[in-house]
Amino acid sequence: MTAYLIRRIWQMIPTMIGVMLLVFFIFNVFGADPSVILAGKIPNKEKIAAIQAQLGLLDPWWMQLLIFAKQVVTFDFGRSWSTNEPVSALLMSRAPVTLTIMLQVWLLDALIAVSLASWVAYRRGSLTDRTIVTISTAAMSISLLLYVVVGQYVIGRVLGWFPVSGWAMNDLWTNLTRYAPLPVFLVLLVSVAPSLRLYRSFIVEEANQDYVRTARAKGAGEGRVMLVHVLRNAAVPIVTNLGLQLPGLLVGSFLIEKIFSIPGVGGEIVLAVSNNDFPIIKAITVYTAMVTMIANLLVDVLYKWLDPRVEFK
Amino acid sequence: MTQKNLLEIKDLRVTFRMGQGQRFEALKGVNYVVPEHATVALVGESGSGKSVSAMAIMGLLPKSNTEFAAESQILFNGIDLLKETDDQRRARCGQQISMIFQDPMTSLNPVYRVGEQIVEVLMLHKKISKKAARERAIELLTEVGIPDPSKRIDSYPHEMSGGQQQRVMIAMAIACEPKLLIADEPTTALDVTVQKQIIELLKKLQRSHGMSILFITHDLELVREIADHVVVMQHGVIREQGASEALFEAPQDPYTRALLACRPHIDTRPLRLPVVDDFLQGREKDLPQGERSRGVGPADPIVLEVKGLSKTYTVKQGLFGHREVHAVKDVSFKLARGKTVGIVGESGSGKTTLGKTILRLHSCQGGEVLFEGKDLMKLSDKDYKPYKKRLNIIFQNPYASLNPRFTVGDILMEPMRVHGIFDSDKDRADHARELLKRVSMPDGAFFKYPHEFSGGQRQRISIARCLTMKPEIIVCDESVSALDVSVQAQVLNLLQELQEEYGMSYLFISHDLSVVKYISDEVLVMNQGQMVEYANSDQLYRDPQHPYTQKLLAAIPGRG
Amino acid sequence: MSQQASQSFWQAAGKRLWRDNLAKFCMAILAIYFVLALASKFGLVAADWNKGVGVSFANPNFMADEPNPFGKNSQMKPESVPMDDATRAVDPLASYEAQIEEAAKAYPAVEEKRAWSLPLGGDKWGRDVLAKAIKGGEVSITVGVLAALLAVTIGTILGAISGYFGRVIGDVLEWFYSIFTAMPYFLLVLAIAGAVGTKGIAAVIIVLGLTGWTSVYRLVRAEYIKQRGREYVQAADAIGASQSRMMFVHILPNVSHLILVQLSQLVIDFIKAEVVLSFLGFGVPLDSISWGVMINEVTVELVLGKWWQLATVAIVMSTFVVCFGLFTDVLRDAFDPKATRR
Repeated sequence: MTAYLIRRIWQMIPTMIGVMLLVFFIFNVFGADPSVILAGKIPNKEKIAAIQAQLGLLDPWWMQLLIFAKQVVTFDFGRSWSTNEPVSALLMSRAPVTLTIMLQVWLLDALIAVSLASWVAYRRGSLTDRTIVTISTAAMSISLLLYVVVGQYVIGRVLGWFPVSGWAMNDLWTNLTRYAPLPVFLVLLVSVAPSLRLYRSFIVEEANQDYVRTARAKGAGEGRVMLVHVLRNAAVPIVTNLGLQLPGLLVGSFLIEKIFSIPGVGGEIVLAVSNNDFPIIKAITVYTAMVTMIANLLVDVLYKWLDPRVEFK
Repeated sequence: MTQKNLLEIKDLRVTFRMGQGQRFEALKGVNYVVPEHATVALVGESGSGKSVSAMAIMGLLPKSNTEFAAESQILFNGIDLLKETDDQRRARCGQQISMIFQDPMTSLNPVYRVGEQIVEVLMLHKKISKKAARERAIELLTEVGIPDPSKRIDSYPHEMSGGQQQRVMIAMAIACEPKLLIADEPTTALDVTVQKQIIELLKKLQRSHGMSILFITHDLELVREIADHVVVMQHGVIREQGASEALFEAPQDPYTRALLACRPHIDTRPLRLPVVDDFLQGREKDLPQGERSRGVGPADPIVLEVKGLSKTYTVKQGLFGHREVHAVKDVSFKLARGKTVGIVGESGSGKTTLGKTILRLHSCQGGEVLFEGKDLMKLSDKDYKPYKKRLNIIFQNPYASLNPRFTVGDILMEPMRVHGIFDSDKDRADHARELLKRVSMPDGAFFKYPHEFSGGQRQRISIARCLTMKPEIIVCDESVSALDVSVQAQVLNLLQELQEEYGMSYLFISHDLSVVKYISDEVLVMNQGQMVEYANSDQLYRDPQHPYTQKLLAAIPGRG
Repeated sequence: MSQQASQSFWQAAGKRLWRDNLAKFCMAILAIYFVLALASKFGLVAADWNKGVGVSFANPNFMADEPNPFGKNSQMKPESVPMDDATRAVDPLASYEAQIEEAAKAYPAVEEKRAWSLPLGGDKWGRDVLAKAIKGGEVSITVGVLAALLAVTIGTILGAISGYFGRVIGDVLEWFYSIFTAMPYFLLVLAIAGAVGTKGIAAVIIVLGLTGWTSVYRLVRAEYIKQRGREYVQAADAIGASQSRMMFVHILPNVSHLILVQLSQLVIDFIKAEVVLSFLGFGVPLDSISWGVMINEVTVELVLGKWWQLATVAIVMSTFVVCFGLFTDVLRDAFDPKATRR
């Protein structure tokens, strides 16, 4: 176990290096010069040069890469190029906002999708099953943007059940009751369908296994067969899938954040890419990559815990 | 002694709806009885419908597409099971009737400990506490011969061997003292030595618990060991039934006689194996008489010599450690022209790995394979390519070894294209058709796809594919193991004829000792990657030297 | 088994597909879309989508009589200021009036006849919403299909190599894959979109293709690893088939149906991605049109109560993607009859 963990953590290093190289490559080779943006409306050469020097853009590329590496190791990404705020402080203020929305989405999605999937898988082949699967296909094909635009207009503007947009700083309760419900609901409309279909396929696959026949031969009722035998086995891929969604929670849905003016990480990404705000992009990329790899590792450990057949190699 | 009938199957007709209006009549009016305290065997090849009645008894047939005829009855102690509600059936299953299945690995729930699974059946049917159920489970595990049961009760199924898993299944089945135990091919997935133990266990339990057993199998010889009554089935009808002794003594139905004769016997080696059609079409009397003699003498020219061949896998261990696992260790033998070396062993003995290593389908880690004085293992991939034409292989699974997207014609012509045999595709196609005819395939097969053929036909196609290259050596990797007995005999006969016709040498790999005895001149016995015995076939079967070989031979069913 | 006529895997799947009424319906709808897209590509329809053929926010035909600020029943009166001496006195341009009048004559004012209502209404500049939806459909479908083809090509080649050869090559490609999946997908898309810069349809296709190959890669790799161990591949190896022959002649046809389903799924995903990209201003440039650009416009219109562009684009786009999605489902089932509903 320990040897396995050490090896897995060791294997994260090359991936991390790869991610750094990719980000560095994309922004340094193709990216626009941020100093031009920063110099403002009336750029002059001296001003640009001064900014370039200040941002370290005049250093040779390997020096910049080395600084990047140092930032990754120390978790200190300096200050934003456009607002001059410390990057870590900026992200620390954005992340909780995103999580407020996404944790709800994650939990509700799991709850709704797993229960619906078990139900339709139990009645597989029936009209209910086919109808729900078809509706899911339709629901997941339609663009999130359409749901959001229409939903915001109908529920927010016409019906006026929830505010059209907004966010209260440092007031979790207001956010949960006033600002979050509509975005959460709209994201769920899109996210439940694919999960439902995926989980249904997991459950149906388990329901066709030999041990299910054994359970029936023992005299177990259909309910018991489903709950005790099938779902326990289907839980392995389902939990894995839930674990793999974790990194996404941190990034959030920038579309939702942009449209509902929610000050989260997703909106920040869009802003940073538009402004070529390299420190923020570097930080978000590195943090997400780390969370992704740690989540993958967690999922594998969880897998072992759920499925006794799995061995760590 | 008159016995009461525990189970009576009366005029059972079962039809499956296959979709798009197609129907398949699986049972066409089947009648048989299972008396109390008796073992009844249902015997038949695949498609005979032998398992269908058992599944019907347990209510395990899918409700959505199964139809029972109105007059059909399954009477258990006089109660018609087909008229029962689901709840009544559920209360009976696992309690009065229980069942064990072919593959214990997949039949046990992988995420629960074996103890939990035995406790489950006890808790479902008996009003006892969890603690009492667990104690009872340990007793049961002791009874079915699991060593150290109080510890093993907390094992997961995958931590046990196949034989132990089947013992657990049996423990679960007898937990509630059922009156009837249905065993559906319970030993087919197991090695021959383990099979013997499981059969002994079932016989012992049948006596001590006074239950009846409905034993379903494809293996007639196995039936001889266990059954009091035998029911022989084919295509959903019963061909013959009767008391075991009488039936084996004087089988009345030609199909029964065919099944008994098609299977190679350990003690005889006819010139040609009889096939089912010989019996069904009344050619029984015209079968060639006489025995074929086998063996390799010092004068026989050697075509292939294997010296000290080893194959190892490296497995990661710990942080930086590696561990070597020997799949094949130091195997040596010689293959003579026009002769067959049989390689026998149980699963995990490395026999298949050995065959594939010789053909360089696996890498080797030591030893030599000499062919015409050249060590094949030392050649570069490019230099080896011409030899691929001369040494070839027929695989075990006829369903997997033909590319499903190729027509039979493409399959046969591909080797000729790869090796530049013949100048034009027309000549290749002509030759392919000749070969199809040679292996008794209809000419129309050329344009068809593999999925349109049965297992035996596909194996013929595989053989024809090998023949396109006129190989000198063919490795037959369990080539007849997946086939029904009657088809097996046909393919074995074909292999025998082709060997005589083309003078090919075979490396015949199988777990089936009778088949190996029939086809081989020399036999090599493998156990856990090592060769334990290597001798002329007759000598080895007559006078086995190594204890492992003796154990294997003693476990052959029908030799009791 | 052998009594049925010889039928390849593809023919059998095609038959199953054709037997399904839902599939037939979806295919008919999709055919209409593709024909319209092609017609629009060659300028047969919607060629003048960018021309203001109606008044600003022209009403749809079926509600032509509703009040419209710039159309019939308008409640707005254009304000006109009469030129009298008093105004001339303060207008600095008054002395040039004659000159201006003279110069204006050189450009005879073409009286544009703008329609008061259009089939499905007009947008702010009076452009025909229906024409926009058709032209936008052409662009969106082109982006979706070409980007999916690009992604599938990259994913299949890398996945096949990685799955077939394994070992060092496999490890390197796995590393490459892990990099792409360790980054948040849309950050990657936005980053590359921002980097590729030159806004245009080709850029969007490249961005989506370069970032969307990972799912195909994972699928193809897993399949190749699975198929590599199958006996028919070993049999090909045993008869001396070359590596490339085993990879592409033997294995590829056995996984190609999965790739086709994946392609179909990616078309939907990319059409949706294009919508989002255009919405954020990283997609199709504003002087051309796509469904995404249209949705981007409607957020402002909605506030003014002009709902018809939204309704049109929502219905047109949703019909397409839903049909495509359902078709993909049926396709998946047709290729794998065992995995169907039971």
